[in-house]
Amino acid sequence: MANFNRRAFLRNIGLASGTAVIAAAPAAAAALDPVVETRPSAPIPNEPIVVIVRDHDRGEVTVLSGKTEKTYRDRTLVRRLLKAAGHNHLPASSGRV
Amino acid sequence: MSSHREAPEISQDPVADNTDVYAFVSPDDPSTVTIISNFVPLQNPPGGPNFFEFGDDVLYSIYVDNDGDARPEIEYQFQFTTTLRNPNTFLYNTGPIDSLTSTNWNKRQFYTVTRIDAGVGPKNSTVAQTAEGPGFEFAKAHATVLGTNLACPPCNIGPRSTPNYQANLGAPAVHSLPSGETVFCGQRREGFYVDLGSIFDLGALRPFQNLHVIPFPAGPGVDATQGLNIHTIAIKVPITRLTADGSQPTNVASSTAVLGIWSGASRRKVRIFDTHNTMSGPWIQVSRLGNPLFNEVIVPLGKKDEWNGENPVGDVEYLPNVQHPELAALLPSLYPGVFPNLKNYANARADLVAILLTGIPGGIIAGFQNFTGPTLADMLRLNVAIPPASSPNLLGLLGGDLAGFPNGRRVQDDIVNIELRAIAGATIPLVDPSFTPDAAAGVISQGLAPNIADRYQTTFPYLGPPLDGFHHPSA
Repeated sequence: MANFNRRAFLRNIGLASGTAVIAAAPAAAAALDPVVETRPSAPIPNEPIVVIVRDHDRGEVTVLSGKTEKTYRDRTLVRRLLKAAGHNHLPASSGRV
Repeated sequence: MSSHREAPEISQDPVADNTDVYAFVSPDDPSTVTIISNFVPLQNPPGGPNFFEFGDDVLYSIYVDNDGDARPEIEYQFQFTTTLRNPNTFLYNTGPIDSLTSTNWNKRQFYTVTRIDAGVGPKNSTVAQTAEGPGFEFAKAHATVLGTNLACPPCNIGPRSTPNYQANLGAPAVHSLPSGETVFCGQRREGFYVDLGSIFDLGALRPFQNLHVIPFPAGPGVDATQGLNIHTIAIKVPITRLTADGSQPTNVASSTAVLGIWSGASRRKVRIFDTHNTMSGPWIQVSRLGNPLFNEVIVPLGKKDEWNGENPVGDVEYLPNVQHPELAALLPSLYPGVFPNLKNYANARADLVAILLTGIPGGIIAGFQNFTGPTLADMLRLNVAIPPASSPNLLGLLGGDLAGFPNGRRVQDDIVNIELRAIAGATIPLVDPSFTPDAAAGVISQGLAPNIADRYQTTFPYLGPPLDGFHHPSA
């Protein structure tokens, strides 16, 4: 039990760093939750979050929310968006993001 | 036109189309500067049933640079909200509108005025939301709301709907704010006069069209805008609230005395057309205006939209267009034999660079300067130490009147004639005494003489009451 502390536990289950959490969660979601087309259940909100895929291959995505605009590299998100959009050209899914 | 429908994209978006900017020391209140920014061009007075108004989805801005770097230290923002008393009628009004609170007035517009100051604000101040763009200093800025729920007047419909318009509706819509500013937002009479039909028919000036390469008999000019209205955003500001050191300058030679002024309009980056319009993202500038006719006449067609989205601090890009303006090359061709000296002048136009991009340095015109430094930027430049003229000359500086364009711009200044003559070479000797202007450069004219008393008023907001749609156009 001497080596079993909270830090080691987190490391063992892959949650040792915040970035791992962030990177792992969408990947897990991507694997678990298929993209399902559905009828809208609510109107578009007044200040919708708008996502623009700028560059498929680089996994570059711009998120507009309120009066802010930020651009990220997130291949997993881009892959899911492209899949939802019916695009055949999907970026490589390597872990280079 | 000064900047009416001057670029392809903004010509499709009238409520955001910035048509004219004026900035001058208020003639009846010389401790203040009045800045006017106009939108919604070419309004025919009978505009029903949906009369003209500002855009609720547009951010209107007036910018002031008070340290010569072509970046704003002060911004006044105007944002509008339209309300309906009764959405179940198609009528704008259900009876005479005899006051700003009339219950007969169905569709009303109100606005908020916010001042943005560069720099970190007081402890409890609000972080500023401004339009995006290169060169702004507003990464650190604070906002102060100066007035809310301020009423616009209705449009001037006619004697039954808007009787005694100016007394009942125009004058009461002038609001004095606790901070010292006075504001007015609403419909006014178009102040810019131009023979639009002639000038854009291959540069014809009717009084001289007998000399045109496609000649017609000479005749008087036709004022294409005298029967039209405009939507005006006007603000009168104590000079001490605009200068960098909070002073009221009296020394014309002082750099503190010169303000750079321009305006713009911005829209949200994304608009979604659904059951109701929704928007997202930052404000993006879609229109701007400093010197009259800059985007219209200097900037080439392929760059006009881009120019509207940029800010003055980046205007070095347009230096070649100012140094060698297309119109100066066209005049000798359009009027064969009339401009021989201009035709042979190949030097870069340092006079136009000074007038439009840097201001005129001291030592060139006695008792005058409006130089803001070496940064090339299209701004109106107003030397606030120069008092208003008791008898304004419509030709401004060209007419020996130091209080007129290009020292800022007054509502009645004859911008078309001033800029025509400048481009034709009348101002080259200011920087190149070896040049002798062609005789025509000092006399060419669009041939218009506006009725000053009819078109303008002597008090804020200085543009006259709008023409009503019942009497205009006349039978």
